[in-house]
Amino acid sequence: MPAQRRFGMDHPHYDWSPISKRGILRWPDNARVALCVIVDLEKPEWDPPADSFTTPFAGGLGARGYPDYARLSHREYGHRVGIFRVLDTLRKHGIPATVAMDAMTAENYPYLVQHCLDAGAEIIGHGVSLSRVITSNMSEAEEREYISQSVSTLTQATGSAPVGWLGPEYGESARTPQLLSEAGLRYVCDWVNDEQPYPLHSPHGQMFTLPVMWELDDVGALWERRVVVGRYQQLLEESFETLYEDGQQNGRVMALNLHPWLIGQPFRIGYLDRALGRMMQRGGVWAATGSQIVDWYRDNPPTA
Amino acid sequence: MPSPQNRVDYSPIIDRPVIKWPNDARVALWIAPNVEHYEYEPEFDGHRDPWPRTPYPDVQGYAYRDYGNRVGFWRMTDVLDKHNIRCCVSLNMAVLEHFPEIGEAMVQRNYDFMSHGIYNTRYLNNYTEEQEREFYRDTIDTLKQHTGKQLKGMLGPAISGTERTPDLMAEAGLIYHTDWMHDDQPVPIRVNSGKLVSVPYSIELNDAPLFRQHYEGDYFAEICKAQFDQLYQEGAHSGRVMCIALHPYLIGQPHRAPYLDDVLGYIMSHDGVWQTTADDIAEYYIANYYDEAVEHAARLNG
Repeated sequence: MPAQRRFGMDHPHYDWSPISKRGILRWPDNARVALCVIVDLEKPEWDPPADSFTTPFAGGLGARGYPDYARLSHREYGHRVGIFRVLDTLRKHGIPATVAMDAMTAENYPYLVQHCLDAGAEIIGHGVSLSRVITSNMSEAEEREYISQSVSTLTQATGSAPVGWLGPEYGESARTPQLLSEAGLRYVCDWVNDEQPYPLHSPHGQMFTLPVMWELDDVGALWERRVVVGRYQQLLEESFETLYEDGQQNGRVMALNLHPWLIGQPFRIGYLDRALGRMMQRGGVWAATGSQIVDWYRDNPPTA
Repeated sequence: MPSPQNRVDYSPIIDRPVIKWPNDARVALWIAPNVEHYEYEPEFDGHRDPWPRTPYPDVQGYAYRDYGNRVGFWRMTDVLDKHNIRCCVSLNMAVLEHFPEIGEAMVQRNYDFMSHGIYNTRYLNNYTEEQEREFYRDTIDTLKQHTGKQLKGMLGPAISGTERTPDLMAEAGLIYHTDWMHDDQPVPIRVNSGKLVSVPYSIELNDAPLFRQHYEGDYFAEICKAQFDQLYQEGAHSGRVMCIALHPYLIGQPHRAPYLDDVLGYIMSHDGVWQTTADDIAEYYIANYYDEAVEHAARLNG
């Protein structure tokens, strides 16, 4: 519905809140930056159902005719090879992983589920499949069923219900935050609009956002904007430096969203390794999972 | 017939039988020049337009690629010769008929060949089963006739294929398919008869997606070296495959060929590099690891 010309947001999900007018957010041990690395394990289908909404998702030589061997197998590289490089790199720097896993992965890759759990990762909901994106084309009942399928599949595969969510391709309808909250989720990463968590309005219990930095998403930067990988390393470091500076006054979150099929390629992983290494050398960085960050925020809200 | 989704069993690279390459090499390096011909006035199959920019012919697009055969190929082979590289050419078979000097130059150097179809403007997607069978007969016969070599593998023409492709390849006696970008090691592909494996090709270390879009020679050299360094380190434990994919019309440009020289000089200065071809990688893998890999994946996937 077109916006009403009045104060505040043109949707009901959260309040307008400029960062310059907020209270002070203090992280554990007065850390300046809470660093969260989200790793996407998403399984696109070769031949998605006709009624699903599929973006021309990245990989291969772009979207080609069926069967798109190059693109679909390129994505599979993440599950077979790339994920292990990415998790090793995170472990090396003492960064706990937050793994966004779709239902197709949870169901068909029990080895990976176990590997992520053994690595101490928090597993969050990531829809059903990369090739089935949430949009307003879904009816409310369909969307509720979709979220439920994702949550129940993850619960069954991991032994516990996810508390966080990242939609495939950041996809949402205008109802998604409420439906996620209704399904028991407590935070969502789709809203790339802030450098701190913030509360969402929800009738179903407390719900927060954990905002991802879209410009630092490896698919956005390396694939869509075609940033060279050495420059990407610099972007990560420069972004961190500014957040580290600003975080001295008011705590910041740096949430990265990474894709093992892309950043986990042999020639790319070293650049991520060096960038994370430089960040973690500094004092005052709290590397944490999504739920650790959101729980802290809930229990220690910004103060005037 | 397995669906594409079920052609390959899941097998995480950290939990597999260890691969030892000949002479304990860490990295099997293969160089894949795509020696191609794009038709001047191709037939549009109704799905994928070979020259979408203009009505046919698109002389700028055509001639840009034709440069590869007239000039680029020869500059590229000079660089490859300097480093004693034996290539596995991804070959549009009609090149052998149109441009025999190129065929002779490749045969002289004892290159191996994988099929890249007949022309780069004829895609497999809409082929019937019988058309695709005939296509394999044609590519096998054409290669044999002009080079004396037995065809062993394929990179689909312009990386196209059908659901049936792996089965029909294996039926025709081919042993490897390089359209799969899913791994750093060869991997068995499930087929109705015979044995077929994927040999890792690259659309990342590949001058076509790189240079046609955004990047330049210095970046190509940087990422090829970084790729090698990572695989070389991991290959100390279990052998890895590294492919560099080339197109003479791109890498053979005067401003780019020196970067190929730089990359090959760097890689070939290392011990423990098996400079080989996809033919040899596939044969070695099938002879030594295929059965073990199939059994291992079956156990893992219950």
